[in-house]
Amino acid sequence: MADQRSLNATHAGMFPNLRRDVAFPVVGVGLLFGAFIAVGLLYQSLFSGAAERLVTIALIDAIIVLGIQIYVGNTGVLSFGHIGFGAIAGYTFAIFAIAPAEKAKRIPDAPFGLTDVDVGSLAAVAVAVAVTVVVAVFVGIGLARSGAESGAVAATVITLALLFVTHEVARHWPEMTGGERAGLSFRIGGALDTRMPIYLALAGALVLARLFAQSRRGRLAKAGREDDLAARAMGVNPMVQQMIALLISVAVVSIGASLRVYETGSILPENFFFNYTLLTLAMLIVGGRNSVTGALFGVAVMTVGRELARRLGQDGFEVFGLGLDSAPLDWIFRENLQTVFFGVAMLGFMIWRPKGLLSDWEFDDWLYRRFTRTQSAPVVPETTMDSDQDARLEVDDVSVAFGGFQALSQAGFEVRSGQVVGIIGPNGAGKTTMLNVVTGLVPATSGRVRLNGADLIGTPSHEIARAGLVRTFQNLRLFGSLTVRENVQVTRLVAIAEHDDRSTPEADVLVAAAGLWDHRDRRASELDYGNSRRLELARAAAARPLFLLLDEPTSGMSDTESLAMVEQVQTMAALVGAGVVVIDHDLDFIIGICDRIYCLDRGTVIAVGTPEEIQADSAVQAAYLGSSAS
Amino acid sequence: MTELLQNLIDGLGRGSIYALLALGVAVIFGVMHLLNFAHGELITVSGYVAFWTISEGWSWYLVTPIIIGTAIVTSLVIERVAFSRVRGSSDFTLLLTSFGVHFVVSAIFLLYVSASVKTFSRPGWVTNTYSIGSLHIEVFDTVVIGVTLVTLLGTSWLIQRTMFGLALRAAAADFDTARLMGVRSDTVIRGAFALSGLLAGIAGVFWLMRAGNTVPSAGIAPMLKGVLAALIGGLGSLRGAVLGGFVLGLAEVLLRSRLPDSVASLTEGFVFLLIALLFIFRPQGLIRVAHAERV
Repeated sequence: MADQRSLNATHAGMFPNLRRDVAFPVVGVGLLFGAFIAVGLLYQSLFSGAAERLVTIALIDAIIVLGIQIYVGNTGVLSFGHIGFGAIAGYTFAIFAIAPAEKAKRIPDAPFGLTDVDVGSLAAVAVAVAVTVVVAVFVGIGLARSGAESGAVAATVITLALLFVTHEVARHWPEMTGGERAGLSFRIGGALDTRMPIYLALAGALVLARLFAQSRRGRLAKAGREDDLAARAMGVNPMVQQMIALLISVAVVSIGASLRVYETGSILPENFFFNYTLLTLAMLIVGGRNSVTGALFGVAVMTVGRELARRLGQDGFEVFGLGLDSAPLDWIFRENLQTVFFGVAMLGFMIWRPKGLLSDWEFDDWLYRRFTRTQSAPVVPETTMDSDQDARLEVDDVSVAFGGFQALSQAGFEVRSGQVVGIIGPNGAGKTTMLNVVTGLVPATSGRVRLNGADLIGTPSHEIARAGLVRTFQNLRLFGSLTVRENVQVTRLVAIAEHDDRSTPEADVLVAAAGLWDHRDRRASELDYGNSRRLELARAAAARPLFLLLDEPTSGMSDTESLAMVEQVQTMAALVGAGVVVIDHDLDFIIGICDRIYCLDRGTVIAVGTPEEIQADSAVQAAYLGSSAS
Repeated sequence: MTELLQNLIDGLGRGSIYALLALGVAVIFGVMHLLNFAHGELITVSGYVAFWTISEGWSWYLVTPIIIGTAIVTSLVIERVAFSRVRGSSDFTLLLTSFGVHFVVSAIFLLYVSASVKTFSRPGWVTNTYSIGSLHIEVFDTVVIGVTLVTLLGTSWLIQRTMFGLALRAAAADFDTARLMGVRSDTVIRGAFALSGLLAGIAGVFWLMRAGNTVPSAGIAPMLKGVLAALIGGLGSLRGAVLGGFVLGLAEVLLRSRLPDSVASLTEGFVFLLIALLFIFRPQGLIRVAHAERV
């Protein structure tokens, strides 16, 4: 275990931990792949005839659904446009792969001399992927501009528009696409006649989807999915992660779409439109969109369900060899039952089980827990680090107005490395606004925020975090469906990229230092209040900030817990060598921990001093206890 | 100049219908933060009702209120059956729920009617035109613009001057606070769905008069126009939705008349391209809605 930990510390590349994040996922998806194929082959041998094609279609659907999962699962942005990307790839593939003699029949006047282009099907797939990825770059920029984040509505409409544009173009550009009715087709017998390429593509898609989720990029994308604002405050720029996820995802979908066209032997606009979007999305969400295992499982379940619905629609209960008189159910067993099945499945899951059958469950997670011995808690080192560094944060004359309300006027504070500075004041005094200005979440009307002399006003939040100011949130913004350990790992990944010259404490050490070792594999959303606060602290510390900005770290805690928090904040700050700015109501806590205290009231600093001076200050007493105290 | 004026009138006629659809989308987005991809299904259902009644020989004057009533009832039923169960869910769930409703409704018609196009007769005056100088104006467009103006004024009065409108605006600004202040969430949400249904019903009458047919997937086009127009205007803003509808209508007409014939069939594609450009330069839409996230 010890050597593995040192490996983690030095390995700042794509994967945090090779055994956990590469070896196990590859073995895991290998087994899943085997199981999926085995079930398919078994089904095929039991039911002859159409069964073979059903399995082939399921294999190709799986590739496309996994492609969609890479984007939708990791970023949380709902895309209706992936089948639009599929259409672009499918047509590109068809135009490049179909022999000139065939093209001369359907599209004799294709622009750019494409009628005469004659490349092999493999090269055609490469062209299809390249063209589609280029389109995806532009769409990705549009998505980023529209403020794409988990569940963002504008982003989803953009993807929907893409689906329609591709459909419209395919229908109305017959010189290129063969139009709405004829389409493009391969010579009879010229289409894909072996499953080997499909197997290879599916295996590749599985490995890629699973490894991306475990990679540095994938983890940062998931942080953005869980909480866009908190991810930014930890130094993650979700836009970059979303773009990377989109491009990988679109490349996989393109390969799947090319195979779909090749296998069918033809392409029509209708093949890559609304119905296929519904089908693939239903597969994804029924299985569990956040999980690769879930996506594959969803394909299997929905394929079986669709086939059953189709057969019931045709023959009623005779499907089961039952001589039952199915007349009472004739009103439901009708042609096209499978379309209703998909719609109802999607609606039903959204209402009763929105996270799908498997939710976040991954097969290799389970394997890993099964085959890894329980770790003992790491030792939290006594030594402080980098205490010689001398950073300073100066906030001067900051004013903020919300409409007519002056939240801050000419307020400021100063803090240096090694210090703990407190900001106190009654509700509405402007404490949280102060932190929001410093971390770039709220623009200041005037004033300066300087870190080591560099002005930070106007800098995006994630860059402020990378510069060394990382905060916690009063209203708890953890990455809910990530585990405690993953919450800390995500910010640590940002820190490693920023300061590879200085060693950053292990995620496990920080988890232990926060007193969360026993909860390390639990989801953050399952933690109680106190533990959530401690995780907020550990997650912020993992970013290795110059200053930790704590927004009411003891709010909602008991007196004993508050007292313990004093020690935890000190340990954590010492571990990463950070100065601390802390906002709180709890005077005992503030006095117990701070070197210097600023007291805010109605947006202005009314007193500054040591804890003793502040306690004795009459203005502070008046602000806190009302005028009766004076 | 004449051509531009002609385009303007045509665009207003087209845009009126989009504005009504977009306003219905925006009203629901306001109270539930739900982008309703099932909005077009109100027109699908109305379309089949129109088909059944008109094939029975009923006149359009009788069918018009039936269509509007159908849209309102359908809107309320969909709210009851599906959307009321996902209130307060994540945006992702809301989006897919409305997408699912869209599919279930159209699949029901696929299952119980048929996939083929059902045509019905249109009122005779729909294709009539009259001239003012060199302008050729459709009677239909005139009626559409007139009715839309009256409807928008009525809606504006409802929202600005009535208790229901006040509750609706309060809920749109901050749903939780509105509830704490005594706004009944059920009432305001159902009211919003009824209003949205009413607007879709009026738009639906015109849409169906012009189309003269329906299919199970007929709802896709009006849904897309409504959703896009609401987004162009700035989601969450009712005025923006109306503006977005007119802008979309004008853009379509202008592009169609200005594009060379060889690419005229791709008008829709170019419209989407323009919308994409708009989003890149003005991601919040035409009218910005202030919204703050609590931290």
